[in-house]
Amino acid sequence: MTPIEQAESISSKLKLNRVSLKNFLTTQGILIVFIICLAGFSMFSDRFLSEENIMTVIRQASMIGIIAIGVTVVIIGGNLDLSVGSMLSFATVLVVDLHDKIGPTNAIIVMFAMTLLIGAINGLLIGYMKLNSLIVTLAMLSAIQGITLIYTGGQNVDIANQDATWFAVFGRGFVGGIAVPILMFAVLALCVHFVMRYTSYGRRIFAIGGNPTAAVYSGIRKSRCVFTTYMISAFSVGCAALVLGSRVMGSQNNVGQGYELLVLAGIILGGTSLMGGAGSVWKTVIGVLILGFIQNGLLLLGYPYYTQWLVTWVIIIVAVWLDLANQRKRLFTSHS
Amino acid sequence: MFSKIALSVGIASVMAFNVAAAETVRIGITQNNVGVDSYQTTYEKAFIEAANADENVEVVVLDAGGDVARQIGQMQDLIQQRVDAIIIWPTNGQAVIPAVRQAKSAGIPVIVTNSKIADAGMDFIAAFSGPDNIRQGAYSAEMMCDALDNKGQIVQIAGQPGYTTAIERAKGFEDRLAEACPEVKILETQPGDWNREKAQRTMENFLTKYDHIDGVYAGDDNMGVGALNAAKAANRDGIIFIGATNFAVGYEAMERGEYYGSVYQSPVDDARAALQTALDVLAGKDVPKLNYFDTPKITRDTLSQFDKPVF
Repeated sequence: MTPIEQAESISSKLKLNRVSLKNFLTTQGILIVFIICLAGFSMFSDRFLSEENIMTVIRQASMIGIIAIGVTVVIIGGNLDLSVGSMLSFATVLVVDLHDKIGPTNAIIVMFAMTLLIGAINGLLIGYMKLNSLIVTLAMLSAIQGITLIYTGGQNVDIANQDATWFAVFGRGFVGGIAVPILMFAVLALCVHFVMRYTSYGRRIFAIGGNPTAAVYSGIRKSRCVFTTYMISAFSVGCAALVLGSRVMGSQNNVGQGYELLVLAGIILGGTSLMGGAGSVWKTVIGVLILGFIQNGLLLLGYPYYTQWLVTWVIIIVAVWLDLANQRKRLFTSHS
Repeated sequence: MFSKIALSVGIASVMAFNVAAAETVRIGITQNNVGVDSYQTTYEKAFIEAANADENVEVVVLDAGGDVARQIGQMQDLIQQRVDAIIIWPTNGQAVIPAVRQAKSAGIPVIVTNSKIADAGMDFIAAFSGPDNIRQGAYSAEMMCDALDNKGQIVQIAGQPGYTTAIERAKGFEDRLAEACPEVKILETQPGDWNREKAQRTMENFLTKYDHIDGVYAGDDNMGVGALNAAKAANRDGIIFIGATNFAVGYEAMERGEYYGSVYQSPVDDARAALQTALDVLAGKDVPKLNYFDTPKITRDTLSQFDKPVF
């Protein structure tokens, strides 16, 4: 090998390294942001990376995370679900209120039935009747909040004997030293991740989100696919309601208010495209955790909680911008 | 001929009005947002019951649904209907002032209930009737001093930022605490938005952040019980919990001995006080501008003197 050849080979190796590093930076940018956040907060608070705190944050994030997994599927399919916050209020009120009236098992069954019914209505209107998902779920957001208020007449609902019910396991229980909400979050994430990644059903969702026309021409039943995504999202809300109801052992009418935005924030932060056809459950999990750690970190540093919103959304905008820049291969666009 | 008829109709209506005035008074009420929480729902029920119990009172009950524009419209409707007095639970203490002024210039006395209107509007109202949130905060501070023997470190979970009730309670609590037991320090204050789950989350973070917490003051019992849930889950014993607006869940926690005290504020008393203030104004009594109904301290020891709240 001549010196020139040697030099060329070294330089091409270096170039390769540089490319793969750049590639890593741009594709896994969100993971890097996550690590920077963790490192930054841990410098200022010695509590931040304690096992206790990490477990607290993940447990708190798991409710938003559980819902975000379901909504991620809807978004990959090219639609939106803004009704999850109201649905969460309704489902939590229902399961808590019925707990003392018909027993925990029946309450859970009724709650899931009603939640899935709402999911089915969303799915029918959006999947089969082809209505715009933003409008339908926004309407559902108000309608379900109204139903919740009518159902309770404005009263809070509570579980009378908190210490005696096995219902406590969902929000307060531990299995093998790990909090049950975290386990539910992890199991749901793994299952949905597997389905989306390795089954033909998952591929079909990506197809209808990415290119609906092509998907339909290739024989995918789009209506049915969209319908099922709303059932998954409704099911995830039901799971979150179990955790929330059991954790608080009571519910207000508007307990889920604003969750739709937190869920969306986590998903967007993770890098799932709102245009559909791209994204992953794994990224959503990271996004939701970042959100949780930022909020917790700012609180540990003693900032009032509204700064969380400011910081969170600044990070989201930056994340979306980096994502877009990566697609365009440059940081700024110019009209040429 | 025509003028004669007009005159007689006029006389008849004046006579009718006089008779009506002697027997019944019509009072219109426009509420903030009934159905959104237990307190307001119970308030409305109690108000209608109190009015029905008095056969000389006829009420027009309206609800603004939390919407300022709708409330202003309702004020104008009530003015059009020529009710004898208007009770308003302001959706927004600033925005309703023009409508209140309109009522005053139409000769209809306005009674503000539960939440105050801004100072600029005080000249246009006949009276305010409601709880004294600053005093409630002070009461909670006094209970905290007693419970901690004047020494310790506490955290505060306040109501929704921007709400008058939240601001006044926090102020009353902080001022009185500094005065009554300066050895009790507030480590940190964070809002819990009147939301039990939010308060629970906030408390979990406090428990991670501070190894030693002697007491928690929450802006209402709903949040206080959320904080209690968090402490129980983390096995942190010996923390004193004090709230305000005693809720049924707070009452029960006091029965179990897990919750130290609260301030007893009954929506039934609130509603009755509003109606009574309106009647006093109409009867021409000398009514003070600010009428606070009694909201006593309630602790584990005095629990038996109070009925369990219905909300």
